[in-house]
Amino acid sequence: MRSPFAYIPRRGPLQAARPGAAVAYLGSLVVVAFLYSNPVVLLAAGGAACLAGRLAGARTAVRAALRMGLGLALLIVVVNALVVDRGETVLARLGHLPLLGQVDVTLEAIVAGVSIGLRAAVTMVAFGVYSACVDPDRVLRALRPVAARSALTATLVSRLVPVAAADAGRLRDAAQLRGPGAAAVGRGPLARRLLAGSLDRAVDVAATLELRGYSLSGSRGARRREPSRHDGRFYAVAAAVLAAAITGKALGADDFHTYPTIHIGLGPATLAVCAVVLASGLAPWRRGGRRA
Amino acid sequence: MPEVAIRRGAAPALAVEGLTYSYPRAAAPALLDVSLEVAPGEFALLAGRSASGKSTLLRAACGLVPHFHGGEVDGRVTVAGLDAIAAGPGELAAAVGYLAQDPETQVVSTTVAAEIELPLEMRGDGPGDRARAVEEVALALAIPHLLGRAVDTLSGGELQRVALAAALVTRPRLVLLDEPTSQLDPVSGDELIWLLRRLNEEWGVAVVLAEHRLERCLAAADRVVAVEAGRVGFDGVPGDFLAWTREADPTLTTPAARLFSRAGIEPLPVGVREARQILGERAGGGPGAATAVPHPGKGTSGEVAPPSRLSFRRIRGEDPKALEAKGLWVELDDGSGPRDVLRGIDLAVAPGERVALMGRNGAGKSTLLRTAVGLVAAAAGRVAAERMALLTQNPGDFLVRERVGDELPDDSGLDALRAVGLDGAIDADPRDLSGGERQRLALAITLAGRLDGDGIPGLVALDEPTRGMDRGRKDDLVALIDRLATRGAAVVVATHDVEFAAEFAARVVLLGDGVVIADGPSADILSGGWYFATEVARVLDLPGVVTPEHGAIHLGAAASEFPGVYDPASSEARRGGA
Repeated sequence: MRSPFAYIPRRGPLQAARPGAAVAYLGSLVVVAFLYSNPVVLLAAGGAACLAGRLAGARTAVRAALRMGLGLALLIVVVNALVVDRGETVLARLGHLPLLGQVDVTLEAIVAGVSIGLRAAVTMVAFGVYSACVDPDRVLRALRPVAARSALTATLVSRLVPVAAADAGRLRDAAQLRGPGAAAVGRGPLARRLLAGSLDRAVDVAATLELRGYSLSGSRGARRREPSRHDGRFYAVAAAVLAAAITGKALGADDFHTYPTIHIGLGPATLAVCAVVLASGLAPWRRGGRRA
Repeated sequence: MPEVAIRRGAAPALAVEGLTYSYPRAAAPALLDVSLEVAPGEFALLAGRSASGKSTLLRAACGLVPHFHGGEVDGRVTVAGLDAIAAGPGELAAAVGYLAQDPETQVVSTTVAAEIELPLEMRGDGPGDRARAVEEVALALAIPHLLGRAVDTLSGGELQRVALAAALVTRPRLVLLDEPTSQLDPVSGDELIWLLRRLNEEWGVAVVLAEHRLERCLAAADRVVAVEAGRVGFDGVPGDFLAWTREADPTLTTPAARLFSRAGIEPLPVGVREARQILGERAGGGPGAATAVPHPGKGTSGEVAPPSRLSFRRIRGEDPKALEAKGLWVELDDGSGPRDVLRGIDLAVAPGERVALMGRNGAGKSTLLRTAVGLVAAAAGRVAAERMALLTQNPGDFLVRERVGDELPDDSGLDALRAVGLDGAIDADPRDLSGGERQRLALAITLAGRLDGDGIPGLVALDEPTRGMDRGRKDDLVALIDRLATRGAAVVVATHDVEFAAEFAARVVLLGDGVVIADGPSADILSGGWYFATEVARVLDLPGVVTPEHGAIHLGAAASEFPGVYDPASSEARRGGA
């Protein structure tokens, strides 16, 4: 079974763009998420990441990232509600709980948790789209001349992850297939077996790299600058998003606080930043091809 | 055999002189005073039993031994003029391509194009040269449609071709292949061997191929090197090799050679074509006479009897069943969207039956077994199996402890060890067992607690159990299957190995794209086509004759009917008239 985040080669602009352009574009959305606390702006950034993923054909990755991101966001909201007792709108008094002490659940703590959770969710969706749309081979190729050892490690890891996942699936199946009279296999022995197997696999993969001549340092001049007519678009959108975010921040677009009471700013600056960020999600859009 | 440009006298593609090698901490050397030369443009076949040293020799030729594996080495290995022991695999990469058994660990990139391009990039080739080389090797291996695909969406056969493309893209003078067909179905396996032959002829690449299923590739080889316990036991042309195996190691011979040996016909044939030519000439057709090609889907005449030592009886509705599937549909998603892998399978297997489940890679064999044992859910229909034990493709996955007795601690475990004949090894470390014993231990683990009062299992299913096995180990497995089935267990084996299926199975179920396309006596099914047919069936083209023993009886009968010869034309006529 493939991971929903596995890279799938497609002919979309985001996939065709050089890794630097794609990283700049998706990274700009993550920067917005970390720069802003206002949930409306965060929702716009999340919406842009989802839209970008859908337009790039990474629907499965977006869905999986959303599931994970919103799950994580929910966890953050719950934990924040339990450990933070600031805020004036008390929704529930849970009394004295072990380790946590007196617990009062406030609306303000929940909204603060939502803001942090949204930030995590936006990051996960952007990473999911990156993972499904940016060719890791091209990233590693770009990395190799500047950090050969790191690139080698990353190459090994990027190949070992799916191999280890397949091995883990097989070991789980084998554990299930053991007869009722055989000793049961707990997670510990299974993990040890997987680790031992992974080391063997790592040796095999490393041997293959060696046989492909990875230890030779191919001349830098031979590196191919793979052409893409979409790079400019993604760099431009990334620059526009960052410019709008920074300007907006300076103009008070991140007008949001939760304590002692909740205030979510929806001024023109905030709405303008939201519009720019949301519109950036259209960057991977591809016009229909012209007939000859 | 087509003419091949073997440039003897030119600097050898591979020269091994007095090579002795021991792996780290090994009790005995893996290679002992091995010397051989492979000429440019030569196609050499490495034969030998499991663990005889074939893989080690290949690793030494590509520099992995000793550079990657360590150990002690003595002697000299030269590849295209480079000292392999001094240079190491990286520097040899341009001169030698290497393809190992498991294609999963032989790809290191995400996409096919990047995988093939990597060795060129490492060598420092320019973008234009790289693009052209990738395109050409993809065309040569018929995989241009795969270039844009992610490697983890490829089938085993496709992945093997991609790995081969990556090994060939630098246009090496020497290609080394370690059992590249062990995971492929007969169709893909044959395609790969003839593809290698074509590259060998057209590109002049020297090929050294290690294989267990010699019947697949002997006809393509110029020369055979047999490795015995780390030494070169034989080095010569394929015909002489077959004569050598009669005395030295009969397990290395091919089914067609066994057929001729048993029938007392000389010379021993290296392949189907030569066997048919020899038989044709003996029948009076003169040099070059060959019999008609087999025709797939032919009916059985019923004239040839008895079919084999294994009896086949069709199951009736009221008979007890160890496995029953009715209208079984299974849908799986391999990353490219959901797909119906099984489509309305109806199948029943009775206790004591020996069934070979065959079909191309991806036909649904493993999925059927996995659904029957409950690992995969059915989308529609139903499947029921009685006390089913399934041994998957990697027996090592079942072994997690350091003592056999710890894997099977109670009485039911001991019963299972007894059922597979391993009750004497209860204190052994599984890692110290032989490959065959490890497989039997894994089977015992799946059987434990699933034996009835008399120690009889219900249904034993094995998924590709002969991968990488030599014939000696296969014979042991046939004996084990015999023992289980004789005691009343139904045995179902998913396999690509037609010769193995002919040895153990009374019935063959052939799957194609998720449906049963043939189901009947093994002798009928395995003599009724090109690919899913044994070598003997392809030589004799007689309905129901699939094993050398059975074929020899018929050659003997033909000899008495037509003095001194087997007459294929008469055979055709008789079948036509039946």
